[in-house]
Amino acid sequence: MSSPAALSPADSGPVETRGRCPLLLLAGSAVAWLALASVLALISGIQLHDPAFLGGCPILTHGRVQALAETAFVYGWIANAGLALVLWILARLGGEPLRAANWVAAGATFWNLGILLALVGIASGEATAIPLLELPRDVQPLLLAAYGAVALGGVLAWTGRRRDVMYASHWYAVAALFLFPWLLSIAQVTLLWFPVRGTLQAVVAGWYAQGLWTLWMAPLALAVAYYVVPKSTGRSIASYDFASLGFWCLLFVGAWTGGRHLIGGPVPAWISTIAIVAAATLLFHYAIIWLNLRGSGGLGGVPLQFIRFGLLAYVLGGLLDALTAIRGVAEVTQFTHFDEAQQELAFYGAVSMLLLGGLYYALPRLTGRPWAYGGLVRAHFVLTAGAVAVRVVALGAAGLVQGTALNDAAVTFPEIAARTHTWLLLASAAQAVLLLGNLLLLVNFFKSALCPYYAAAVAAVRQTQGIAAEAPVR
Amino acid sequence: MKNGALLFLGLFAALGVSWAGIIIGSSDQFGALAPYYDAATDQTYPNGMAGVAARGQLVYRDLDCASCHTQQVRRLGFGSDQARGWGTRQSVARDYIYQPFPQLGQSRFGPDLTNFSAHSPIAVAPGGIYQLLYAGRGAMPAFAFLFETRRIVGEPSIHALHLGAGLEPPAGYELVPTPRAEALAAYLLSLSSPYDDYPEAMPPPAPKGEEAKK
Amino acid sequence: MNPPAGQDPTYQPAAVTDAELLAAHEKLLEKQPDDRAHYKLMPLGLLFFFSGLILFAATYLNRYSGHFDPSIYNENALPTKGGGEVKIDPIVLGKRLFNQSGACVTCHQPTGLGVVGTYPPLAGSEWVNGPEERVISILLYGLQGTVHVTGKSFNAAVMPSFGASGFGWSDDKIADVLTYVRQEWGNKGGPITADQVAAIRAKVGSRAAWSESDLLQIK
Repeated sequence: MSSPAALSPADSGPVETRGRCPLLLLAGSAVAWLALASVLALISGIQLHDPAFLGGCPILTHGRVQALAETAFVYGWIANAGLALVLWILARLGGEPLRAANWVAAGATFWNLGILLALVGIASGEATAIPLLELPRDVQPLLLAAYGAVALGGVLAWTGRRRDVMYASHWYAVAALFLFPWLLSIAQVTLLWFPVRGTLQAVVAGWYAQGLWTLWMAPLALAVAYYVVPKSTGRSIASYDFASLGFWCLLFVGAWTGGRHLIGGPVPAWISTIAIVAAATLLFHYAIIWLNLRGSGGLGGVPLQFIRFGLLAYVLGGLLDALTAIRGVAEVTQFTHFDEAQQELAFYGAVSMLLLGGLYYALPRLTGRPWAYGGLVRAHFVLTAGAVAVRVVALGAAGLVQGTALNDAAVTFPEIAARTHTWLLLASAAQAVLLLGNLLLLVNFFKSALCPYYAAAVAAVRQTQGIAAEAPVR
Repeated sequence: MKNGALLFLGLFAALGVSWAGIIIGSSDQFGALAPYYDAATDQTYPNGMAGVAARGQLVYRDLDCASCHTQQVRRLGFGSDQARGWGTRQSVARDYIYQPFPQLGQSRFGPDLTNFSAHSPIAVAPGGIYQLLYAGRGAMPAFAFLFETRRIVGEPSIHALHLGAGLEPPAGYELVPTPRAEALAAYLLSLSSPYDDYPEAMPPPAPKGEEAKK
Repeated sequence: MNPPAGQDPTYQPAAVTDAELLAAHEKLLEKQPDDRAHYKLMPLGLLFFFSGLILFAATYLNRYSGHFDPSIYNENALPTKGGGEVKIDPIVLGKRLFNQSGACVTCHQPTGLGVVGTYPPLAGSEWVNGPEERVISILLYGLQGTVHVTGKSFNAAVMPSFGASGFGWSDDKIADVLTYVRQEWGNKGGPITADQVAAIRAKVGSRAAWSESDLLQIK
């Protein structure tokens, strides 16, 4: 099955012997969720400029479709891909085969089962209407337990590492593994099981949403970036001695941005002021990331292209975050499509592109053979990069138009809808292109990872039954 | 950084400090807000939600209406919320203490609903809310699945709706709202902030410099 | 090691092993021998940048956080010193009292015009705009019997007492509602203070409802 001749000598490692199955399970689920999330996001996007689209079906009413798309994207695609890559990186850096592989496989299965249950729940009306925590309440404990099982493999790989040194990917990966369960359990308890009173719920929800971004998604993506870049280019990280400063800055400052979306809201002013200050201070972290990872190689292969795009989007997103946190700017961009554009830039442009780069890098090592279709890999990059850029610009423009119109009391809502119509059409078209790219990835993944297994399984069965593989069929 | 234990403690501290600062700090300040007693009218504000309105909030939540509507009025000078007639003052935390799940919202593709029953012409017009939900309007989709078109058996139902030309059911059928639609309408009609004089909602006093100039 | 030219999109080869990666970065973190005897610009630049950010943060927090006060929702405001009673416009209070269900508006109507033949109007009423003591007395003790307002005669209803023998309103409430009524609907009477109400209450003590002729004695 594995053909070590195709892999370079720098790649040989015992890691993949035990870790292959569960990690491929995670990666495959991720790719499938990405495709589904793209479909749902397309429906949701079309409904923004054409409200009657599929609106008759209660499952596909706009609010629910948006919750479905967000859940599938964050807890389906990003979680699975992030965990797969981070576990793989920790195991490789540890130098040992993946421990607790059975736990990881079981955890992955139950995580994806839980997400499926969550989506069914949202479609039938159990969504919590909390941004980034739309998962129905009763599914969340299952997800926590499953996450714990998966994270166990990563934690054991970290504690049992051969060389007692830690690299930047270690810090970010361990941070992501540990912080997510704490974030999710606190949010769950204070919002859903024993809800706190009044707008305190909004504060907790904001703390969770920003924590999810800065303490979980960004570390997952950065762990991948810090690993793939030096491995591919052969050059050490520039100014590596500052990398730990960037790490601690993200961790300590990141969670304080919780009040980011409560500017002018029904909470005391200090909450949003601290968030604005934190968003500005976080610029230090982005500066260090830029310093460390900007030299991601000249032409580079496709994984490096993904990673370079992702890093650019990450730093740009950080700048935009600090800019739109300023109250004068927030007055225009708050509650508009601009927030959506920022989220697209962060979740898709930054984290997803970094994870995709990692996926394109890691899969050949997991399966032992290269990707099946090189053309599809290139096409995926071109389509995704172009579509994300177009989408961010279109949604941003729509948001600015909407924001300035909202601030003028004379402009009615039908008028606002008319003004933003073209930009939203453009954004939907770009979303359709994204969907196409992700379908290409799905096809490529299926051919690369699953077909060899199928062929090998067939060969094994034939062998046990004493049928020679080359025997012609009469 | 070599020390694994130090990393772990650092992670814990990072999360713990932000949790303590933001959540515990906020909880201390307004986690146990009580209603405000107004001596002039001998009443406390805000008032609790009626049961059917609380159920309606669950319908609002399940359809995720907050994905297009906000329920927070911003202060004067920050956007045009008050100029649009959405409220007469900035919303404060005390407005939401009797709502089981405040739906503050994060996007405004439709108007703000904080004072919907007090300020919106739709709320005042008879059957206005049902017409809005059944037919949609502008960028708001139709929620026809919240209604039921059923054959008239015997007498027409007293709950049957007559929403105007173009929306009438076929002959022999009647259009009735489902219990969810009724709860949602009750919730929307309960949305208002009747009291303007909470101490924290008072406009800030003019700076001393301006008074000295006068 | 340079990556090979002509990248194969199906496979990105690794240029170093994991062990080499870890070792190289470990070495970077060790103390470097000072091979060049001048400052490295980088840490200085980062230090300035970070200091600048902290300066911004501190200034912004000081200016816009309302000193972390829980009752400051407007970031431009500062907590009021002394925490005294917030003064609400008595006309606003008075209007609220007037419009309370079961109070004035029920009979005298929101337009202040009353009901023809039953409840006298307040708009343009000589009783409302007349001597302060007179109108305060009406509220404190009530009025019964025939009364002539704006040339018309009213006999059908009794004006209840809002003082101790009736609704039990405080001096502040009576003063506020009278202040409101005396400037609304074109009325030009001046404001009434709670002290004036208290003075009359103390002077008269308790009594039955006024009649028109007794009231006209008050100047």
